[in-house]
Amino acid sequence: MLKKKICMVGSFGVGKTSLVRRFVQSLFDERYLTTIGVKIERKDVSVDGQSVTLMLWDMAGEDELAKVNLSHLRGASAYILVVDGCRASTLDKAVELHQRIREMYGALPFVLVVNKSDLRDQWEVEIAQVAQHGWPTFETSAKAASGVEEMFLSLAATLIREHSAGEDADQ
Amino acid sequence: MPTDGAAKRPASDDQPLAELRAILLGPDRAAWESMRQRLDNPRRRTEDVASVLADAVRLRSDAKLRRALQPLLEESLQLSVQSNPRMLADALFPIFGKAIRKAITAELDDMLQSLSQTLEQRFSWRSLRWRWEAIRTGKPYAEIVLLRSLLYCVEQVFLIHRQTGLLLEHVAAPNAEAKDPEMVSGMLTAIQDFVHDSVSGTEGDNLETIRMGDIGVVLTYGPDAILAGIVRGVPPRHLSRVFQETLDTIERQKAEALHSFKGDTSAFDICRPQLEACLVGQGQAQERKGKPRAARALVFELPALLIVALIGWWIYSAAVERRWTNFAHRLRVEPGIVLTIFDKRGGTHYFSGLRDPLAADPAALLEAEGLASGKAAFHWEEYHSLDPRFATQRRLLELKTQLERRAFRFPIASAAIPLDQRFLLDDVAADIQSLIQAGTAIGKNIQIEVRGNHDPAGTEQINSVLALSRAVNVLAALASLGVPSAHLVAIPEDREKQTCSAVLEEDRLFCRSASFRVIGVP
Repeated sequence: MLKKKICMVGSFGVGKTSLVRRFVQSLFDERYLTTIGVKIERKDVSVDGQSVTLMLWDMAGEDELAKVNLSHLRGASAYILVVDGCRASTLDKAVELHQRIREMYGALPFVLVVNKSDLRDQWEVEIAQVAQHGWPTFETSAKAASGVEEMFLSLAATLIREHSAGEDADQ
Repeated sequence: MPTDGAAKRPASDDQPLAELRAILLGPDRAAWESMRQRLDNPRRRTEDVASVLADAVRLRSDAKLRRALQPLLEESLQLSVQSNPRMLADALFPIFGKAIRKAITAELDDMLQSLSQTLEQRFSWRSLRWRWEAIRTGKPYAEIVLLRSLLYCVEQVFLIHRQTGLLLEHVAAPNAEAKDPEMVSGMLTAIQDFVHDSVSGTEGDNLETIRMGDIGVVLTYGPDAILAGIVRGVPPRHLSRVFQETLDTIERQKAEALHSFKGDTSAFDICRPQLEACLVGQGQAQERKGKPRAARALVFELPALLIVALIGWWIYSAAVERRWTNFAHRLRVEPGIVLTIFDKRGGTHYFSGLRDPLAADPAALLEAEGLASGKAAFHWEEYHSLDPRFATQRRLLELKTQLERRAFRFPIASAAIPLDQRFLLDDVAADIQSLIQAGTAIGKNIQIEVRGNHDPAGTEQINSVLALSRAVNVLAALASLGVPSAHLVAIPEDREKQTCSAVLEEDRLFCRSASFRVIGVP
C-alpha cells in the first residue's frame, strides 16, 4: 500500500481546513474554526489504477503573531500552498512559505491553490500575477466544491508518477 | 594521434604531415593536449575526482553504493579501533554514555517498583501463593511477583516511520477498539514534534509515555522507526524493553526498506508476527481465561472458604469463651460469693463455691449477661459473709422478723391500748428506731405499716372504724415515744389476711389486735 504525506500550508483563514474537509468528507461549513497546531485527515484515492493513501496534515495558518511550525513538513512527499483569492497578502505569504520550505527541505512537489473561486468578483489576486511564478496552480472553491477533487487528484497523480520513476531508477 | 611508425620517420618527411594536422586539428589540439596531461598526471586526476566525489555519492545514494562501501567502512572502523581506540570511544561517548545512563535509570526504576510491590505483598495470602508458585516452577520469587502483580494489556501496536509519521504496520488485540490507525500514527508523530518543540529538549530526548486515565501510550524509538503501544492499565517498566527489542530487530531486518522508504508499506507486512508478539498483557482477565472456573473453585476458593469458615468459628468460639471467663470473674468479685471451681466439661460450664443467701443470684446474673443458662451448672454451699453490707441486711431481717411477731391485744369493742399492753410500746419503739437506722445505713427507706384488726363479732362498718382506731392509737403512742411518724402508716385491717373468723373467745383475743408489717426490707 502506497502512502504519502501532504501538508497544507498558507495564511490563516485561507480555507485549508475547508479544502481538506470538502475533499475527505464532502462537507462545507460556513463557520470559521481556527486550526490549532495540526489536524490530520486521511483519504484513499485511486489514480490510473494505482491506489494511494493521502495523509493530509492540515496545519495551522500563519499570521503576524504566529509562525507556522514547518517541522511538521519533515518527511512530507508534497505540500499545498493555499491562497485566499480575496486577500492579496496571502499570496505573498504563500511565496514566503514556499521559500522557507525549500530552504529547509529542498525541492518537493507542490501546488498553489487560489481558493474561494465562488467569490471571484471580490478577488484581489490577479491570476496573471500568480502565473508569473510558473507554478502548478489551481483555482478552487471549497464552498462550491469546485476544483478541489481535481487539485488533490492531480497532486496524487504527480506523486504516483514520481514514486514509479523512483522505483524504476532503483532497479 | 601520433604513432610509433610516425615517430621513426625523418623530420623532413613529417613536416607536411604536421602542417596538415595543424590545419585540420589546430583548434582542438591544445584542448587534447591539456586532457592528455590531466589523464597522465595522477595528481590532477585525484583532484578532479575529489571535486565531484561528494556530489556523485549524493546522486548515487542507492543500495548498490552502500553495499559497495560497507566492507570498506567496516575495515576502516576496525583499523581505527585497533590503531587508536580512544578516538572512537571519545566520538561515541556522547551517544553511549547517555544510553547507558538511561538504561541504568530504567533498571533502577524497575527494581524499585518491584521492591515496593514485593514489600506491599509480603505477608498477604497472595504472596504466599506466589511463593508456592516460585517453589513449584523454580523461578525466582521476584520474577513471579513481577509477572503476577501488574495488571495491564497492550491493545494495539503501531510501527511508524519516524521521518514521515506514516504508519508502516499496525496490529490490534481481538477485543480492542481500534480507530483509524493511520490518523493515530500521524497524530502521535505530531504530538512528539509538539512536545519536542515546546519543551526544547536535547537531541535524542523523546516523548516516552502518554497517559489519559486508564489508557496509556508507550513509545520507543529507533533511528528510522517508532514503535508505539496503546496499553490499558499500568504498564510495567520492562514493557518498554520488550518494545525496544522488537523495534531493534525490525530496524535491523528492515534497515534498507526503512532508509529508502517512499510511502510503500508492503515491505513491512512481514513484521506483523513481531508486532503481534508485543500484544502482551497481565491481569485477572487473562487468569480467568487460562483456568476453568470450576477448577479454580476447587483449587483455591473452596479451601479458602473452609479456612475462612474455620477462622471465623475459632474467633466466635474465643469470643464466647471470653464471655464465660468474664462471667466467672464477675462472680469472683461479687459480694457474698466465693467461687472455688470454674471448669468446662462437655460444653457445660461448672461453677462451685460458697454463697451467702443474701448475695446476688448467679442464675439471674447469667441471664443478664446473655449467656445460655442451659450451658451452666451451679453448686453453692451456704455461708454467712462478713461483708458489712450483709451484716446490716441480716440485722434488718432480724429486726423485721422480731417486729412483725409483735402485736397489741385489745378488749372487745375498744381501741384504747390496755394498760397491760403498754409495756410493749417501748420495745416496739426501740425495734422501729433500730430498723430505721439500719435501713438508712444501707440507703433504704424503711416504712412500717401499723395494721388494726377486729374480731368477727359486730357489724362491718363498726369493725372497720374500730380496726383503724386501734392502728391510729398505736401509731400515736409510738410517735409520742419519739418514733418519726414519716416512717409509720396506719391501715384499718390486714388486707392480705382473711377476716378473723375465730369462734372461741381466747382465739378472738388474737383477732382484736394491732400488728406490724415492715416495707422496704427484702
